[in-house]
Amino acid sequence: MAKQYETVIGLEVHVELATKTKIFCGCSTAFGGAPNTHTCPVCTGMPGSLPVLNKQVVEYAVGVGLATNCTITRYCKFDRKNYFYPDNPQNYQISQLYLPICRDGYVEIELPESGDGESATGATGRTKKIGIHEIHMEEDAGKLIHDDWEGCSLVDYNRSGVPLIEIVSEPDMRSAEEVIAYLEKLRMLIQYLGASDCKLQEGSMRADVNLSVREVGAKEFGTRTEMKNLNSFRAIAHAIEGERARQIDLIESGEAVIQETRRWDDTKETSYAMRSKEDAQDYRYFPDPDLTPLCIDDAWLESIRAKQPEFREEKRIRYRETFDIPDYDIEIITDSKHMADIFEATVALGAQPKKVSNWLMVETLRILKERGLDPEDIAFSPEHFAALIDLTEQKVINSTVAKEVFEVLFDEDIDPVAYVEEKGLRTVNDEGALRKTVEQVLAENPQSVEDYHNGKEKAIGFLVGQTMKAMRGKADPAAVNKLLKELL
Amino acid sequence: MVSMDILDYTAVELSEKIKRGEIKVAEAVEAVFGQISDTEEDLHCYVTLEKDKALARAAQVQEKIDAGTLTGPLAGVPFAIKDNLCTKGTLTTCSSKILENFVPTFSAEAVLRLEEAGAVVIGKTNMDEFAMGSTTETSYFGVTKNPRNTAHVPGGSSGGSAAAVAARECFAALGSDTGGSIRQPASYCGVVGMKPTYGTVSRYGLIAYGSSLDQIGPLAKDVRDCAVILETIASHDIKDSTSMNRTDTDFSSALTEDVKGLRIGIPRDYLGQGLDPEVRDAVLAAAEVFRKKGAIVEEFDLSLVEYAIPTYYTIAAAEASSNLERFDGIKYGYRAPEVDDLHLLYKRTRSQGFGPEVKRRIMLGSFVLSSGYYDAYYLKALRVKALIKKAFDEAFAKYDVILGPVAPTTAPKLGESLSDPLKMYLGDIYTISVNLAGLPGISIPCGEDADGLPIGLQLIGDCFQEKTLIRAAYTYEQRGK
Amino acid sequence: MANVIDDATIDYVGILAKLELTGEEREQAKKDMADMLDYIDKLGELDTTGVEPMSHVFPVQNVFREDVVTNGDAREEMLANAPEEKDGMFMAPQTFEG
Repeated sequence: MAKQYETVIGLEVHVELATKTKIFCGCSTAFGGAPNTHTCPVCTGMPGSLPVLNKQVVEYAVGVGLATNCTITRYCKFDRKNYFYPDNPQNYQISQLYLPICRDGYVEIELPESGDGESATGATGRTKKIGIHEIHMEEDAGKLIHDDWEGCSLVDYNRSGVPLIEIVSEPDMRSAEEVIAYLEKLRMLIQYLGASDCKLQEGSMRADVNLSVREVGAKEFGTRTEMKNLNSFRAIAHAIEGERARQIDLIESGEAVIQETRRWDDTKETSYAMRSKEDAQDYRYFPDPDLTPLCIDDAWLESIRAKQPEFREEKRIRYRETFDIPDYDIEIITDSKHMADIFEATVALGAQPKKVSNWLMVETLRILKERGLDPEDIAFSPEHFAALIDLTEQKVINSTVAKEVFEVLFDEDIDPVAYVEEKGLRTVNDEGALRKTVEQVLAENPQSVEDYHNGKEKAIGFLVGQTMKAMRGKADPAAVNKLLKELL
Repeated sequence: MVSMDILDYTAVELSEKIKRGEIKVAEAVEAVFGQISDTEEDLHCYVTLEKDKALARAAQVQEKIDAGTLTGPLAGVPFAIKDNLCTKGTLTTCSSKILENFVPTFSAEAVLRLEEAGAVVIGKTNMDEFAMGSTTETSYFGVTKNPRNTAHVPGGSSGGSAAAVAARECFAALGSDTGGSIRQPASYCGVVGMKPTYGTVSRYGLIAYGSSLDQIGPLAKDVRDCAVILETIASHDIKDSTSMNRTDTDFSSALTEDVKGLRIGIPRDYLGQGLDPEVRDAVLAAAEVFRKKGAIVEEFDLSLVEYAIPTYYTIAAAEASSNLERFDGIKYGYRAPEVDDLHLLYKRTRSQGFGPEVKRRIMLGSFVLSSGYYDAYYLKALRVKALIKKAFDEAFAKYDVILGPVAPTTAPKLGESLSDPLKMYLGDIYTISVNLAGLPGISIPCGEDADGLPIGLQLIGDCFQEKTLIRAAYTYEQRGK
Repeated sequence: MANVIDDATIDYVGILAKLELTGEEREQAKKDMADMLDYIDKLGELDTTGVEPMSHVFPVQNVFREDVVTNGDAREEMLANAPEEKDGMFMAPQTFEG
């Protein structure tokens, strides 16, 4: 009988914090600059330069720690992690080993119902607690670009010194599904905090997967490997499946799993060991003498706590109590802090919650889906959004025109009132003009008129369409319908 | 000869003359370069000399003095800077091959402060490679000789700065002191050198050796110059997280003759085995001067003296091993030629670029931090450091100043020290614990041995008590006057 | 002489410190390091039970910068000392991965 194996997974998640400047110098963290244009002596490791800590990094890290139920380390320090690599300009990375800023937390993940005995809570499925071992602050490395022509690597230090937090989970996950639910949960919490945009593809959120397998029922963990370079949920899921299979194969064929770091190759959908005899994995951590310890006293901690935003759970409850919109809409809207912000701001401007929700659920999601965008990418302003809804409600424009205007609003955040005026998109309420057009349409389409009179009710639809077309979409379809019936 | 007269002035005296219009800044610079052309070939105090830049700068400074916008006590004074302090646009090598071509893009905060005060930097002084050594013999650019006797070393690691002041190849200099590197060469060359309390002078722009121990300080002709220079370079610098916010850095206000009631302790361990009798006698004679001037002088037991050196070498080597990792041939400095493999490039560059003493300390430091040894060596040393600090705290509960020798002997002969590194390290026994405890210390000449080599007296103060030290040192200096 | 540094140890330290030692240097390094460690072992004489390791001599804490951009484009300066550069970047030997 084949043995049953259990996968044991722990995650190390790196998140780039949304500070304006780097962790230890006043260089910008903005994306997209030409190579090395956001650098200074500190983040290029020039001799004689010294680091000075960005206070906002600490506030974000503590914020994430509080949101993930961690104990905040009141007296913490930075340590140097020593290893040579060209993207690491000092050849040591300033990080935290001995006294990380947050410890012993957890997040609750929600999983679809499944029959493996986990206790079910709530309507959406079961929940599971994933432990957080620690969160520490550190600096990001620069970027290496391969130059195949010269056969060398080129180093750009623009990302060097961008602040990161590393969230280290306990080995509490058992499947790719749980891993992704955990990552989505972290991403939502951190986005709600505004501490990062958490984009996997752009590298502002990165996950290293520590994975081992063991026979079901075994008490000891197996030997684990660490998988790096996972840039999407899909890559993470595939890497977990692949690594699980690889380790089971090794065990079944009597070979040992070697504790090592492996790199995922997304195009080949396979991983390989990153081994080098020059890589001793002995980082000689010691407290950085150039930085002073951090002391987070009650007052500071409370001030950070007071600034914590309303998280999704509280928001959902409030929405249910405050807004008359379906639970499904609430789920979708609060799934993204950004979308929830737009919803609330638009409602605050006087728009009806139900209408706002409809626009978000239907038109907005459609465009996002068509273009492969995230809710975070929504760029229109609540003011213009509210104005568009108002134009529709006041029947200044009809719904077809409104959808067209919305597309432009989505792309360019235009002022819908000015736009409708400029383009002459107002619904025509001039009875005389409409009557004249209807009469003309009836005259041009005797067959349809006849069909209608022969009992083909559907023919009126065609005639409405022809009228709308002649009016260049600016008529109120209900009024057209009424007039047609009257004249027929 | 006019130029000889100029060279006899202290920095403060020279600046007075300049501000009174009796001497032009350019004349002072020319005088110094005249002296350099006479003695530098023998002594080799400098790695880099910048005469043209110095003269151009002299003209600017002169203009400001004439316009009355530069009025400070160092306006117009030609200065030498140790070559581990970054100087924008001027080669900064740490006396190492690995930085043989490195031109910083910014100046050290201490250098900027001096320049703001109207000092004229004339060049960069030779040193032990990366400040690792006690003789200036580990320099990649060759040894510096002691101006008092060229068969002897000037001490180190700020040997070039001390020798340049002693040889009148500058009016004053900046050095750095990690385990005695200002005080010991000052002692060997017969000048005054001072290491302030850790955090008093910004380390921004000082190429780090042992970051928790490094401090910048002056080497000068007398205590007044030292006090004035220290007052000028001391600052609370937001670019250095370990820099202290002090409001008591008006050090020249302490230039008064008054040691009445001053409690001075002499550690018995500082007078014991290994101390040259001539040095001992000179130090005890100095103690007698203080007693006569009204100080209360007594011997006491400062514990843990013999543990300072192993503690220091563990901590300094560990920090150095990390601080010097950045020298890898990719961003600046020397790069081994024709290597295609990354790790081979690192190894070749560093093996060819660093000298033996630097390699020795980097290897020791890497070892004491490595997996399995960190607790036994590095953490143990940090614990002993805490005990040493406590021993000083207890001593300063009883005494205002601790008095002792700077070094066990006068300057050794060239070539005598490097053959036995451990023995060389033992020469740092009286200076090293001051760095471990973050204390201020000053070295002032207190006589000569039979061969005419200078002997230095060391005064150690409690943290932030530079003024007490300056007052005591000044009083002692005025003894014959 | 309690400490003996063997070849494996000195090679390991060479990997950590990125130093390549020739035959003679290597033997000298083994001896020097053993001597220094013997000397440092003297610290073992002291009972440091309950003593906190002291990294900083002064209890200075919470030194921060505000999150304000103060630096502009200094690429030319940063690259001024590069032994080799290309397209505004530092040139290094090929790294085996991205």
